[in-house]
Amino acid sequence: MMEFIACVIAIAVAYQAMKAYKLAKEKTLLYLNLSFVLIGAGLLIDGLSSLIGLLVRHRGFLYLFGVGYTINFLAQLFAYGLLVYAYVHQTRNLAATTEALAAVPILFFERNAVTELILIFLLVYIAIQTSINYSINKNTNSMLVFGAFTSLSIAHLFFLLYTVKPLFYPFAHIAQLFGFLLLLAMLLRVNHPA
Amino acid sequence: MIPDTQGQTAKPAAKYRSQLRIYVDMMYVIQRENNEAKPTRILYGANLSHDRLVKYLEELESLGVIQEMGADDKVYGLTQKGIEFLNNFRRVESFASAFGFKI
Repeated sequence: MMEFIACVIAIAVAYQAMKAYKLAKEKTLLYLNLSFVLIGAGLLIDGLSSLIGLLVRHRGFLYLFGVGYTINFLAQLFAYGLLVYAYVHQTRNLAATTEALAAVPILFFERNAVTELILIFLLVYIAIQTSINYSINKNTNSMLVFGAFTSLSIAHLFFLLYTVKPLFYPFAHIAQLFGFLLLLAMLLRVNHPA
Repeated sequence: MIPDTQGQTAKPAAKYRSQLRIYVDMMYVIQRENNEAKPTRILYGANLSHDRLVKYLEELESLGVIQEMGADDKVYGLTQKGIEFLNNFRRVESFASAFGFKI
């Protein structure tokens, strides 16, 4: 359920980014659009595969969890990689791009520490960029985006800890949902300014 | 920053404004002037040369986002389409700025 809500919010952000790109023809906005399309698609596939796996409860369908997670991981890897590229593209620092995109996609079929560490690395970079933006702009929308990426970083940190202790699993999902809700709040503020 | 031959620090390269940015800056000036802006006001407000001002005013008029309003003196105002465009642009700008992207 949480995945589906997050997916809808990601698609809404992607839609807004597409509208912005159509108006401004700025490439960074296209990257933003593509990354949120990927995040939304990944969450949808992961959610659907988990749902089918839970409903069918047949041993033959257990691999669906792994397939869903793998697709979601790859989608997030490309999405956050693209966002990192967008930030680097804006600051014209191509050296960092090479480092950020050096994460080679490998097919993992279970949630594990390596996949989560890669996502945490990318998300922390994006969170730092959004925090710099917030320190310059000092407005609520920038703060919400910074909060969202910080929350998503924490969510993946919990997913990482979940590989050691299952106790962290619900906290990870709550943090992830909270991150997307912050993005939704930003979208609502942008479209309905006070 | 890169030091120049005299050992002084060179200025970073100026970022050129896109055509859209110039249009929007001109329209912001018109809006700030209560929708009745003289060409000189737009020229100074949007930081343009006279030639470019004339060119862009013609283009904005042909796009239907501004119109000449004054009877004696030349005064420009935003059309309904212009007001809607500016509101839409403000939303887009606010969205992009939330992520730290400049338009």
